[in-house]
Amino acid sequence: MEPTLTKSALLPDAAASISLKNTPMIKLLDIEKVYQTDTIETVALNRVNLTINKGEFVSVMGPSGCGKSTLLSLMGLLDEPTGGTIEIDGRSVTSYSDRELARLRNHKIGFIFQSFHLINDLSVLDNVELPLLYRAGLSGKERRQRAHAALDKVGLSARTRHFPSQLSGGQRQRVAIARALAGAPEIILADEPTGNLDSVMGDEIMDLLLGLNRVEGTTIVMVTHDENMAHKTERLIRFFDGSQVS
Amino acid sequence: MIRHLFTLIWNRKRSNFLLMSEILLSFFVLFAVSVLLVSNYYNYQQPLGFEYENVWELSVNPGQDTLNRTEKVSQIMRRLQSTPGVVAVTSTSSNTPFSFSTMNTTQYTYKGKGGPLTERYDADDDMVKVLRPKVVAGRWFDRRDAAATRPPVVVNQKFVEKLFGQESPVGKVLVTSDGKEEWQIVGVVETFRSGSDFASNDPAIFDRRILQDSAVLGAYEMPVLLVRVQPGSGAVLEQQVVKDIKDISKGWIAKVNTLQENRHDKLKIMLTPLIALGVVALFLIINVALGLFGVLWYNINQRKAEIGLRRAMGATGSGISAQFLGEMLVVTTLGVLGGVLLAAQFPLLGAFGVETPVYIMAIVLAALLIYTLTAICAFQPSRIAAGIQPAVSLREE
Ligand SMILES: Nc1ncnc2c1ncn2[C@@H]1O[C@H](COP(=O)(O)OP(=O)(O)OP(=O)(O)O)[C@@H](O)[C@H]1O
Ligand SMILES: [Mg+2]
Repeated sequence: MEPTLTKSALLPDAAASISLKNTPMIKLLDIEKVYQTDTIETVALNRVNLTINKGEFVSVMGPSGCGKSTLLSLMGLLDEPTGGTIEIDGRSVTSYSDRELARLRNHKIGFIFQSFHLINDLSVLDNVELPLLYRAGLSGKERRQRAHAALDKVGLSARTRHFPSQLSGGQRQRVAIARALAGAPEIILADEPTGNLDSVMGDEIMDLLLGLNRVEGTTIVMVTHDENMAHKTERLIRFFDGSQVS
Repeated sequence: MIRHLFTLIWNRKRSNFLLMSEILLSFFVLFAVSVLLVSNYYNYQQPLGFEYENVWELSVNPGQDTLNRTEKVSQIMRRLQSTPGVVAVTSTSSNTPFSFSTMNTTQYTYKGKGGPLTERYDADDDMVKVLRPKVVAGRWFDRRDAAATRPPVVVNQKFVEKLFGQESPVGKVLVTSDGKEEWQIVGVVETFRSGSDFASNDPAIFDRRILQDSAVLGAYEMPVLLVRVQPGSGAVLEQQVVKDIKDISKGWIAKVNTLQENRHDKLKIMLTPLIALGVVALFLIINVALGLFGVLWYNINQRKAEIGLRRAMGATGSGISAQFLGEMLVVTTLGVLGGVLLAAQFPLLGAFGVETPVYIMAIVLAALLIYTLTAICAFQPSRIAAGIQPAVSLREE
């Protein structure tokens, strides 16, 4: 489906990735998301038009409940908008089947969550291998190698046999980042990745993401409540009540 | 993916162990029920070893009349034999086919080897014409036996198997353990399962006891006659027979039942506990199913975040459902394997005298039931798992 799957992840020099900067990676056109429960109708996103270019590092801010997580879940193809079109890498995903969406998520997108979402019954290595499990044509050995390489990047190669419960919060988030990296995605979506960490650990994680964006050209969209973090990124988008305000 | 499944199951061994134990226990209970049902069905399928159609059972009750009993019974038998419509008459002990009485003994030994628990029947030369057991070696009793030095007996193949193994039994002499009484085997019949359609194929022995010759009825012994009649004989012959008996015996009470009726009555009584057992087993299965269902349901609710995460990582809905079914299949197989190991001890130890094929069929049946049960119970929860939206991973618990 995508012949240039891991292109940007494989490009080591920054100059090459910067030349891609004006090609859109994620495009939201007139996006609307309404949550319909029995009695209440919540408009989480209201006519959002937004383009994230390749190699950009964008942060999203806004008060609680303004629709940031909803925005990320739509960009990550975890949910469908009630109106509008999403384009990933130039292609509209509106008519995609469950299988095609799963494949796209697996190949293109890495997720990082506020509460890490590691599987407690799996070792660090097994957790990092998870996205590779859902990718066809990889041998066990290749998976292991990639997972080790990803753990190396986040500086956790000494902890592969540990279980999540034996790690600190910062270490857990680094495992989650390694998991997102293992599949060599072009996009990383991070929902308050430092929200559960103290400022020292938060800075560590932020540095990791910045390095990833600079060195590998990974497109990153990060939701944060921390102005300092947000100002380290190239672009800051503010949301209020389901709409982009700046 | 299979490795991943095993890793997951191993890392969750504590909760999976509980599930496995439940499956193992359920397997075992189902195995026990299966053994009962299968062995009864198995017996039901076996030949009875005699023909009961067109055989009547005449119970004759002499009441207070103790005078010349033996003579009168012999006279009745001679009269019946000459009655048109009657094929043959035999006198036997009270443990007639499908009756509620048994007469078993372990008195027969051979060269110091103790005999099996054996059902003993009184028989005469004509019994072979009435019940038509299949003689497979030697012969049935006849006139020649009147002059025999040792009382002749006929045994069934099960008796031979238990006492002689591969040796040919005809002509061998059986003795009591104190050596005081002796019998000589003159023939072997195939099987003789007279208790009911569900009776197992147990050792049997026939003692030659001819009323006309020597034997005398004990004071409290009730003569029982079995009469083979022509097919299609009915009420007319029955009235005739009762009248003949009354004529000769003057006031004895005579009762006629067909063996067909007796078989039917016995079958009903034997079926009642089996049906009760079946109902209990059914409730048990429902209980096990609800238990399994609850555990799986709970499991999937516990793992919603994991499911959402896997979906976000690229698992499809059907992939998630396959994972849950796969996990269940592995855990069930481990439980069943444990159960089979336990259950296999019964045929290996030869416990309860149940035939090995019955145990094997019961194991297969129990395993099939467990797999069906878990498949049914896992189906709905895994569908629910497949339907969990990937977006739940972004929602914090
Ligand atoms: N599954 C859902 N069903 C109904 N309403 C929902 C659902 N998910 C989100 N909402 C509503 O949509 C709105 C936006 O929610 P969202 O989680 O995107 O906010 P957010 O900006 O991420 O907030 P926070 O900063 O607290 O994480 C909220 O009003 C929320 O109540
Ligand atoms: Mg949120």
